[in-house]
Amino acid sequence: MPNGRELAIRADRVTRDFGPVRALDALSLEIPKGIVFGFLGPNGAGKTTAIRVLLGLIDPSAGHAEVLGLDTRRDGSAIRTRCGALLEHPGLYERLSAYDNLDFYGRAWRIARRARQERIREMLTRFGLWERRDDPVGRWSRGMKQKLAVARAVLHRPALVFLDEPTSGLDPVATAGLREDLAALAAQEGVTVFLTTHNLNEAERLCAQVGVIRSGKLLAVGSPEQLRTRGDSGRVDIRTTGITEELVRHLGDLPDVRTAAASGDHLAVSVSNGASVAPIVAWLVQHDVGVEEVRKVRATLEDAFLDLMGAETRNGEDAGGTP
Amino acid sequence: MIHDIWTVVWKEWQEFRDQLLSLRRGGLSAMILALILGVVAPVQLGAEWVESRLIIGYWPFLAATMVSSLIADSVAGERERHTLETLLASRLSDSAILIGKIIAAVLYGVGFAVVNLAIGLIAVNVAHGENGLILFAPQRLIVTVALTILASLLMAGIGVFISLRASTVKQAQQAFGIAIIVLTMGPLLLFNALSYETRTAFIGRLGRVGETRIEAYVLAGLFVLSAIVIGGALARFKRGKLVLD
Repeated sequence: MPNGRELAIRADRVTRDFGPVRALDALSLEIPKGIVFGFLGPNGAGKTTAIRVLLGLIDPSAGHAEVLGLDTRRDGSAIRTRCGALLEHPGLYERLSAYDNLDFYGRAWRIARRARQERIREMLTRFGLWERRDDPVGRWSRGMKQKLAVARAVLHRPALVFLDEPTSGLDPVATAGLREDLAALAAQEGVTVFLTTHNLNEAERLCAQVGVIRSGKLLAVGSPEQLRTRGDSGRVDIRTTGITEELVRHLGDLPDVRTAAASGDHLAVSVSNGASVAPIVAWLVQHDVGVEEVRKVRATLEDAFLDLMGAETRNGEDAGGTP
Repeated sequence: MIHDIWTVVWKEWQEFRDQLLSLRRGGLSAMILALILGVVAPVQLGAEWVESRLIIGYWPFLAATMVSSLIADSVAGERERHTLETLLASRLSDSAILIGKIIAAVLYGVGFAVVNLAIGLIAVNVAHGENGLILFAPQRLIVTVALTILASLLMAGIGVFISLRASTVKQAQQAFGIAIIVLTMGPLLLFNALSYETRTAFIGRLGRVGETRIEAYVLAGLFVLSAIVIGGALARFKRGKLVLD
């Protein structure tokens, strides 16, 4: 129980094989209740398999997972009763109206008639879809369908909702709109959200914690801030006067300097972890280069993510895609 | 469980209703069938329409045909339209989903046959009922309805098996078409392959058994066969497998 908070998800060395392919490789995770957790990874990293295991749709080959305190192997039905899900596809019945889509799942979750009608109205209104409630969903845009699918996932007020790449395939405006809706929803409904995405901007804006997965292995987990700090690999931007190409080449040979590149007056230097920038500045001054400004470049989540992906590739552990 | 089954039946009917109301998606063919079987045939045949023994196979065949087209769309269609995994991620059990789908298709097929039968009775009486009401003998009506229900159940079970192996509705419907031909033509071809003496002896033996007993045997056989096929379909319809298919 991290920081004494109750856990929504606890996975202990969960492994899932599909024949010779290992889709999840000893995945261990602890996700507290009430947060938005982002599960980041490239296509085929094992994100969807993780959701399927956590929802009790498939059993792990090894290891153990609990969702809301329930065993995924034994209590799949109880887990699905308490959770909502927007999976890889919106999963909407396109011949049915938006209202009937929600009505069906409301009935499936045994929401009483009156409460169901009110909840459907509330959700469709929140997502700006009420006026189009009687339209067959097949006529809707991708963005509207995704919103409806999110509304369906939270219709029965689940304690935990799985959203598998909810903004995938949406245009930037629709993405931003849905992202705002998700943030508001998570805050207002107090629901724990398990969100898979490869949109790092989205993860950074929405998630309190993120995990990075590749080839079924969890590479890192923490808050976006913690991951960014990991990605701070000593990049420094120096505004100079009088820098020459020859000096840049010599600068690259200095101890603790990993790379150096100049673009006009700007000098981008990457130093070894923990190394000080002061000797570099002193060296530049010594060689008659004017130093106007020294700025440590803060890594973005994308930098941290790419850094992790790069490190994993360098380790030669990329086992390829997973189902 | 019952509530969950009816929830699935409700959803399936919402989709069927859309298909039926849309001329392009099946409404037109349903109307043509209703016109031929419910109006043209009874008007042409008159009293024979309710007295002929052949008519007993007419309604089960009609219902089974309707069921076959619906069940393929209902099971293979969920996968093709990417709605199956979301349905499986809900709290509904595997058996509630499958039984709901089978009941919805059977109700539709049987309902369609019964409505056609009722229209036919009206049509035959309007055209030929000047000397009194033309009605089915009660036993024949009961046997016809029971056969219609059992044939629909059997077809729904077979449809689930076929649809679980098909990745698209079209594939499932094509496989279903072949299965229907084999099931209907196969026994006839087998019978014709027998020698003349064997056939004559067989027909003679049937004649001695009596009509009522034959009907009872057929009903019992269909019941057992339907139970086996639906039981097998329930055993195969498991979310752990369906999610990965």
